[in-house]
Amino acid sequence: MAPTATLDASDITEKARRDLLQLLEGVRGKKNLVIEKSLAGPVGLFVKFSTLQEYGVDKVFFLENNNVDSTQRNVVFLARGEKARQVQAIAEQIKRVRRESKQDHEFSIFWVPRRTLVSDQILEETGVLGEVNVVEFPMYFVPLEKTVLSLEMDDAFGDIYLRRDPTAIFLAARALMLLQKSQGLFPRILGKGENAKSLANMLLHMRAEEDIDASSDPSNAHVHSFDLTPSATIDNLIIIDRGVDFPTVLLTQLTYEGLIDETFGIQNNQTEVDSSITGAAPSQPPPQQTSGANSQAPAVQPPASSALKRKILLDSTDKLYTQLRDANFAIVGTLLSRVARRLQSDYDSRHKANQSINELREFVNKLPSYQAEQASLKIHISLADELKKVTNGDLFLRVLEVQQNLAAGADPSTVHEIIEELIARDCPLTTVLRLLCLESSVSGGLRQRDLEHFKRQVLQGYGYQHLLTFAALEKIGLLIPRVSAGAGAYLNPLANPSGAATVTDYNLVRKSLKLFVDDVNESEPNDIAYVFSGYAPLSVRLVQCILQKPYLAQLTNPRTTPALNSQPSTATASGNWKGFEDVLARIKGPTVDEVQKGHNAAASQARKTLQGSGGGQVKTSIVFFLGGVTFAEIAALRYINGQLGEKRRLIVATTGMIKGDTAVGAGVEGRSFKTR
Amino acid sequence: MSKPTADWEKVGDRFYRKTQLYTDVFDQDLELENYVIAGAPYSGAVALYRDEDKLHAYRGTQTAKPTIDIFSCAGKLIRSLNIDKGIVKALGWSEDETLLVVTNDGTVRCYHNLQNDFTPFTLGHGAEEHGVRACRFWLSGFVALLNNNALIAVTRYDEPRPKLLATPPSGDVASWAIIPPAYTLSRSVEVLLATGKTIYVVDASECEDRMLENGPFKHIAVSPNGNFIALYTDDSRVWVISSDFQNRLSEYNSRVKTPPKDMQWCGNNAVVLAWEDEVHMVGPNGAASKYFYDSWVHLIADTDGIRIITNDICEFLQKVPDASEETFRLGSTSPASVLIDAVDLLEKKSPKADDNIQLIRPNLDEAVDTCVKAAGQEYSIHWQKQLLKAASYGKSVLDLFNSDDFVDMCETLRVLNAVRFYEIGLPLSYEQYMRLTPERLIQRLVNRQEYLLALKVSDFLRLPLNKIYVHWARQKVRSSNADEESICKDIVHRLDGKRGISFEEIARAAYDEGRSKLAIELLNNEPRAGKQVPLLLSVGEESLALDKAIESGDTDLVFYVLLHLKKKLTLANFFRTINTRSMATALVEASAAYGDRELLKDLYYQDDRRLDGSNLLLTEALKQSDSQHRNDKLKLASKLLQDSREHTFQVKAIDESQRLLRIQEVFEKDLGESFVGLSVNETIYKLIKSGNIKRSQKVQSEFKVAEKTYWWIRLCALVSRRDWRELEEMSKTRKSPIGWEPFFNEILGAGNAKLASLYIPKCTSLTVPERIEMWIKCGLITKGAEEALKAKDISSLEMLKNKATGNAVHEIERMMAQLAPSRR
Repeated sequence: MAPTATLDASDITEKARRDLLQLLEGVRGKKNLVIEKSLAGPVGLFVKFSTLQEYGVDKVFFLENNNVDSTQRNVVFLARGEKARQVQAIAEQIKRVRRESKQDHEFSIFWVPRRTLVSDQILEETGVLGEVNVVEFPMYFVPLEKTVLSLEMDDAFGDIYLRRDPTAIFLAARALMLLQKSQGLFPRILGKGENAKSLANMLLHMRAEEDIDASSDPSNAHVHSFDLTPSATIDNLIIIDRGVDFPTVLLTQLTYEGLIDETFGIQNNQTEVDSSITGAAPSQPPPQQTSGANSQAPAVQPPASSALKRKILLDSTDKLYTQLRDANFAIVGTLLSRVARRLQSDYDSRHKANQSINELREFVNKLPSYQAEQASLKIHISLADELKKVTNGDLFLRVLEVQQNLAAGADPSTVHEIIEELIARDCPLTTVLRLLCLESSVSGGLRQRDLEHFKRQVLQGYGYQHLLTFAALEKIGLLIPRVSAGAGAYLNPLANPSGAATVTDYNLVRKSLKLFVDDVNESEPNDIAYVFSGYAPLSVRLVQCILQKPYLAQLTNPRTTPALNSQPSTATASGNWKGFEDVLARIKGPTVDEVQKGHNAAASQARKTLQGSGGGQVKTSIVFFLGGVTFAEIAALRYINGQLGEKRRLIVATTGMIKGDTAVGAGVEGRSFKTR
Repeated sequence: MSKPTADWEKVGDRFYRKTQLYTDVFDQDLELENYVIAGAPYSGAVALYRDEDKLHAYRGTQTAKPTIDIFSCAGKLIRSLNIDKGIVKALGWSEDETLLVVTNDGTVRCYHNLQNDFTPFTLGHGAEEHGVRACRFWLSGFVALLNNNALIAVTRYDEPRPKLLATPPSGDVASWAIIPPAYTLSRSVEVLLATGKTIYVVDASECEDRMLENGPFKHIAVSPNGNFIALYTDDSRVWVISSDFQNRLSEYNSRVKTPPKDMQWCGNNAVVLAWEDEVHMVGPNGAASKYFYDSWVHLIADTDGIRIITNDICEFLQKVPDASEETFRLGSTSPASVLIDAVDLLEKKSPKADDNIQLIRPNLDEAVDTCVKAAGQEYSIHWQKQLLKAASYGKSVLDLFNSDDFVDMCETLRVLNAVRFYEIGLPLSYEQYMRLTPERLIQRLVNRQEYLLALKVSDFLRLPLNKIYVHWARQKVRSSNADEESICKDIVHRLDGKRGISFEEIARAAYDEGRSKLAIELLNNEPRAGKQVPLLLSVGEESLALDKAIESGDTDLVFYVLLHLKKKLTLANFFRTINTRSMATALVEASAAYGDRELLKDLYYQDDRRLDGSNLLLTEALKQSDSQHRNDKLKLASKLLQDSREHTFQVKAIDESQRLLRIQEVFEKDLGESFVGLSVNETIYKLIKSGNIKRSQKVQSEFKVAEKTYWWIRLCALVSRRDWRELEEMSKTRKSPIGWEPFFNEILGAGNAKLASLYIPKCTSLTVPERIEMWIKCGLITKGAEEALKAKDISSLEMLKNKATGNAVHEIERMMAQLAPSRR
């Protein structure tokens, strides 16, 4: 318990690593590791396969493949225990191995992030509980970057909005609670949206229970004597419910990183592209540290696929990428050529006559970093080239046209023709659905007639099984019929009785928060709107409502500037929604604003004194995206952080990364009527 | 006051001391020689069990029921446990004072917290057939030796998983011992088995012969730190060897014909042998000392010494701690001993006191430290005070001294003296206390129901009090005869305003006593919703449990309750319970979607959720591979929605899908290609691509596919078919609903520039520069130039001229010339 330390992502990584290795060490001898597919990526972020091998892991299998063999006496399962299916799968594999194998096996299960009652019950019913060693591997947040923490729950969006299963919210609350335990209470919890509200409530609840838990848990009898007091380093927690802001997800991200995600997909900081694009991976292990569970194991992956695909690590270890990732794609070409020229001139400087020995030595010392940069430059040029091909495509431009029109608030019927054309041209279903959902989201639903028209088009174009897709999208609230105010509560599942708005009034919000900026400057951004070349994500605007009040006020209404500027400063005590209540009332879902104080005022005061007066302190705000966050939003938040200066740190936390295709894909019916 | 050195004895070059802790320990009638005895670590409780193998006088029927009696070290009976079945083969204690009783059929009972109730588990691995012979315990586990020499290890008691160790050779085991996992290289428990002339070392995976030849060994003992092993040979010698069997460290000949009945380590540097009333202590290098008693002797080894128990006394034998030796050894000139002398003189008001201080002035801080440490080792309060006085005097002379140790020691001694009191009977040494930790000391006090002392000590040491309150309340619930209401009132009243009280634990105690009503009432005071759930389920308050689970937000708990409910309630009741709770319904739906479809169907039916029901049938239809079944499902799906007006679109769509499937089946029969599974558009596309234009048109009209869509599909299909003739034909059509530009783009994209160029003049809606661009794309610069000429666009001509080669350049120049005059 070090409440004074600032939140450091590497601590979390280190702890997860240590925990896992310790658990592995607890299983004596060599072992086979069976890992759930969705965990392989996150685990690969902090442990290399070679390290696992040092800890006795012989082979790695994916749980889903159901192919663990009996080559080792010890079999270790690493899986999430929240879903009954997963538990069942493990139980069956244990039974299978036991049946097929001649020798005695030792089974261990590491449940991530906790051992559940349900898992125990299922294991007991299937009769394997008695023979497995069950332990918890409490991995909650996985840092993707220094300022990006993710729970890496791939299904979170579908669970929360489609199936209304709040497990993800509960686990998020657990994860945030752990942060509070190490950092102190978040002095203020702000948020917007139905689920944000329940998350905030859970946090308050857990805090009340924490007292008793701590004291009745024998293992931390020492720790408990500290009462939770408000953190001195963290200023506030801002929870953004994804349900409040669907359009941002549905629009095509136009930052470099966002486009890579849209085009190739980024999983756990890695993208996988055809090797014909970047050239095959070098023969020695590629410069990227490919993640443990993936890089190895012919047992896991057919070797053929690795020959065609190449994994590329995309994170801040790549210096060049750090410069490129948040830039609008329009200027990436320019940036790349600038870097290429600089590298060339640096490299050419070796030819300079009469160099001293020292200069030469310096040059030689820098050589490895030149080479690394050169290699990464090569990769990014080819990636950018490939993206350019996509963005210049006819379809992409058409889609973009529709999106920009809708985002800018043009009459939706003007784009209907283009959408129809896209359907006729058999453009990918998710793309079409994204556009329809976007229209529905920004205009409070589609008119019944239009909706049925498009439904018919889609059903004929892509198959009648998509009746289910539409049912799911309606349940999520992405594609809904427009209803008169009175009936809204019945049909709109996001309706709540608390009197808050049930549907966001986009026309009003667009104006009052200036969600569309016409004169956006992509090469030298002057507003977050650059990430979508015009549209400013609502979610990030909400964050600005708290952190950048004067700026936003000036942006939306230049005349009121002096009044708001007279307020003390940007960083008022711990931030609140003040000044934007009217707009918030027009955005669906309740608004959250809770202040957390310590039981013991004296103790928190003492802690503050110990910290020294807040003057030189870097204040941290955690922005938690419930239901997923896009790379474009992260880029926008990084931009804001740049504007706020050194005194403030924004940390993005989320249930997982998301993009339009995955959001819509949560509803898409995958099967067809094809005869098997 | 007797000197502290009075009970010291020199063995070799070391001093050992025997401290009398308590007298009049056991009743004189208790025939200690007939009992098996086991003592908990860190001066904990002592369990006694009548040894079945020994003869005993018949005393009528009252002894018919064997019991295990738990005493404090001072001989106070704490509890008496009835053993109703099985023959007790071993008694042992764990670190947290859990008593473990192993019976011959391999059943292990864990008596937690010195209470009457226990949690049982069985050893398995053949223990039942072969029977348990003996067990050896360490702080957190034990190893059982079966009659067939099999060894079973248990390493934890919260979730015991008995594990079979490697198979040792058969043969008579003369004696055996274990090395706890913490002290072995393999980090697994190791067993030393003396069989025949040698010793086998057995761990989880292998059994190794150590090739000794001096066996059979009557006794084996492993030192508390696992570094040394003591062996008692057949010719009545004691050997001490290192635990890797590499070095023999010392040897001692007891010269006693009968082998001792017990051999134990005293700390890490002496071995104690016990005969009936005689004890030999063997120090390093074979030096020994003998003690004689009036009655039968039992040895209880602890980490830093050994307890010797007879009917009359309880003694603690240990090596004199270094600090004490330095201070009190006769003729010692250490600073500490000078300092204690000085205090003596000071009390006599002698000025020499100061001389003494001046003598040790340079080492005074060291002297103070030693005195503080020595005080901790002293049992006599007089000498504790004397030593602390000396320390206090010494530190008053020092300018800068950190008194933390001194203060801590004063506190610790207060606690130690309080618990050493004979009525409490916890004769902890300082080192044992440090290892036990204050928290666990409190737990021990609570277990002995010494609540007042526990509260006072906790308060004194600034430890949390809540557990003591909870324990008190549980005990009250168990033992009180008052009516339930007043018990509950009393408890709630007493615990009101106390922080961190877990009412759930108290309620569970009430439930275990069979007082369900009291349990529910107590549970109402539990602030943590989640914690109430399991207990509510056990008392049969299912719907309340479900509410509490939902309140906690923990989906796992909700699931758990739901599983329970589903088993217990009828389906109708189950649905009634969940459908007022939306989260429960959502969870049931989500989980059933992957498994229990029938349940889902019933749920939708019961709630009259027709659309969901119909969708469920649709998913089922998708799963069918057989067309007949699929159609049935689809029919059902549409029938379900037939009567309601709001679903007409849905019904129509389902019907259409059936129609499509039928048509596709016909096509499959006619054309011998697969169509089922394709969408309407895809069907049209495939038909056109295979040249069945007529059929495609039929599909178009049947499903009222928009003209525009049809044209697009046709264009794409023809292009992919490379049907240039048909496309050329189409260019002659007057009008296209999608314009002509797509034709140009698609055909050009397919690589037929010549044909694509045919469409350029038809794109009348485009601007001239756009059309010029199109010409350029087809490589027909001259044509582009003509276009520009028509529009009198001189700059485009310039641009074209730069692109042009050969003849075309002249051509363009000529055109520019044509335009030039008009400019003038």
